[in-house]
Amino acid sequence: MSNVILARMGEVTLKGLNRGKFEAQLKSNLKWRLRNFGKLSIFQSQSRIWIEAKDENNPNFADAEAAKDILHAVTQVFGIVSVSFAVKFEGDFDRVRAESVEYVRTFLNEHPDYKTFKVEARRGNKNYPLDSQEICAEVGGDIIEAFPQLSAKMKDPDFVLMVEIREFNYVYSGKIMAHRGLPVGSAGRGMLLLSGGIDSPVAGYMMASRGMPLDCVYFHSHPYTSEQAKEKVIELARIVSGFSGSIRLHIVNFTQIQLDMLKNSPQDMITITMRRVMLMIAEQLALQNGCQCLITGESLGQVASQTLEAINATNEVVKMPILRPLIGMDKQDTCDISRKIGAFETSILPYEDCCTIFVAKHPKTHPSAKDVEEAEKNLDIQGMVEMGLKDVETITI
Amino acid sequence: MIYFDNSATTKPCQEVIDRISENLTGDLFANPGSLHTLGLKADKEYKSVTSSVASMLGAGADEIYFTSCGTESANTAVRGYLSRNKRAGNRIISTRTEHKATLETLKLMEASGYEVVYVSVGSDGKPDLNEIRDNLEGCALMCFTHVNNETGAILPLDDIVTLRNSVNRNCKIYLDCVQSLGKLDINLKKTGVDMASFSGHKIHGIKGVGVLYVKNSVRIDPLILGGGQQKGMRSGTESLVLASSFEAALAAAREHRETAFNNASEINSYLREELSKRGNTILSPDDALPFVLNCSFAKFESETMLHCLEIYDIFVSTVSACSSKAKKVSYVLLECGVDRKLAANAVRISLSRYSTMDDAREFIRTVDEIYDRYLVQ
Repeated sequence: MSNVILARMGEVTLKGLNRGKFEAQLKSNLKWRLRNFGKLSIFQSQSRIWIEAKDENNPNFADAEAAKDILHAVTQVFGIVSVSFAVKFEGDFDRVRAESVEYVRTFLNEHPDYKTFKVEARRGNKNYPLDSQEICAEVGGDIIEAFPQLSAKMKDPDFVLMVEIREFNYVYSGKIMAHRGLPVGSAGRGMLLLSGGIDSPVAGYMMASRGMPLDCVYFHSHPYTSEQAKEKVIELARIVSGFSGSIRLHIVNFTQIQLDMLKNSPQDMITITMRRVMLMIAEQLALQNGCQCLITGESLGQVASQTLEAINATNEVVKMPILRPLIGMDKQDTCDISRKIGAFETSILPYEDCCTIFVAKHPKTHPSAKDVEEAEKNLDIQGMVEMGLKDVETITI
Repeated sequence: MIYFDNSATTKPCQEVIDRISENLTGDLFANPGSLHTLGLKADKEYKSVTSSVASMLGAGADEIYFTSCGTESANTAVRGYLSRNKRAGNRIISTRTEHKATLETLKLMEASGYEVVYVSVGSDGKPDLNEIRDNLEGCALMCFTHVNNETGAILPLDDIVTLRNSVNRNCKIYLDCVQSLGKLDINLKKTGVDMASFSGHKIHGIKGVGVLYVKNSVRIDPLILGGGQQKGMRSGTESLVLASSFEAALAAAREHRETAFNNASEINSYLREELSKRGNTILSPDDALPFVLNCSFAKFESETMLHCLEIYDIFVSTVSACSSKAKKVSYVLLECGVDRKLAANAVRISLSRYSTMDDAREFIRTVDEIYDRYLVQ
């Protein structure tokens, strides 16, 4: 008898001829994500992935409580829909009945207030002497006999005992919902413009959920922003990497560029000019690092630089597609996702990623092509992009 | 490196490092509470260290307790006194410029039913004596800070004690001496305060040790209960190494006190003059402790100046944080009547006995360079 993790695949199973590729990617991602949980065997059968410890003393599999961290890690791997912690054993139906009762005994220790239950059964082998309904009836009868305080209830019971009879037998109860999506690596790579705010980590998470591996770029302007602000961005990248897998974070020294802009261009256009140069630098870094698109956390109308005119003005400087997964989202929904992925508390730390002196009091919200041209006429934009690309620190997370 | 953040913490001095090393490597490691001879040896040393600290502070050995920090001392004094002396009165007098260790404790006292009167503070950082007089009747406790940690303002302690003695002798005084220790001459018996707190790491000692003074005639409840160490006032195995490090730090601070004070005064005057000349505003009162100089830099938000200085390996402090959303400004400065815009640019320069005029000149040179390189008009 041993404890195992059962992970269910979702959208991957709808794939046609290339399903194998997606599944292989998912298994490889699971292996990477679970690399610190001891030696594991990960195998797939139909729409399920079974994860077992190679070493029977692996502490992460000792019981449901000890398995919390590894279960959480599995839920973070895109492509998985839900996860359960199951008991696996060999033997005939008598053994199934006995183990089911034992499982419920332990389970009730943790949930002493549970009063109602039902049994659901699945058979891998349709020639098994009992059909699913018979399995449910037999096991359910044993449970009521062993635990007189319990009664069977088909609709909304306190818990459902799952009994699966395949090459081995499995019993478990409950499942933890995972983040769904497609395995990271099944789509091309994207370059995320990451700041210390709430939106951009969520944008990265959302694109990674569609299978996209990430590089990130952050524009740092010490001494106008602090080292803590940079540390905060590194921490946010680390949080996103829990879902997306390893991230290369490129930190561009942006101080001199910002100072030159402030000196030589009108204040009310500085955000637009700044974003244009940021996108140009990001596109070059994307090309250097095998990325095929840029990703931003822009949401229409959220701030002055995210009006349609402002987006047009910034969009036109790059050839690469800019993906904006939050463009039509309400801020509250973005915050909810931020909380769900564990980034919110870090995002709201009070270290700003842009000093107030670089923020116009009354920025132009509807810049025209002429405004942009006028704003940049005294700037050496190409020189600024080159300057930015010369001073980049890359950290692998 | 120029370290001008000595009000936050100081670098441990050689005397302290030597003392710690002696303590940790010799046979003084035993539990002073153990009955064997090794324990007795540690106990003797602990008592000797306690007596020495007491005598340097002008207190009796039975009036001194070692704690983990200044904050613990403050909590113990205020909460312990009020809990033990419930009939002493329902009023507490203090100011809004106290350290958070006191303010947060007072908040708790307010929540438990005490009336806390926060008397106004002048632009010189001194509390209004008339307001104190008006509220002394029925007052159980007054809580003040000897030297303010942000501005260096010195409390007119003698005036306050005289006032207390003439209006309400039953009212006790708790004094936060964390910033004044080793810099002003403190003789607890002579001052007439009833309780006081001290910290080791502000006087070139190490973090993890503080001292609480409770006058012999004053009874307070302990905050930490347990094995009854330190006469039941502060349970937990006595740490000889920490107590001893405090004693070494205090002895060294006292030895250098006068020269350090004169040195800090010279540096302070120089910095005041040079910074003012450049259009900056000195926010520390004229008669403040010379070790603390609060300056509002023209056209530079506090945090930007702090980060600019760190590029040159110069370290200062600020309470104001640069943020595009909510500007956090020092409550102490606002309470002293400083304009919000000036407070947003306030930087605290705090000196130690190791600060030199060369440091100060280099600091001014660097500030000039920062204005050239980083000022955004």
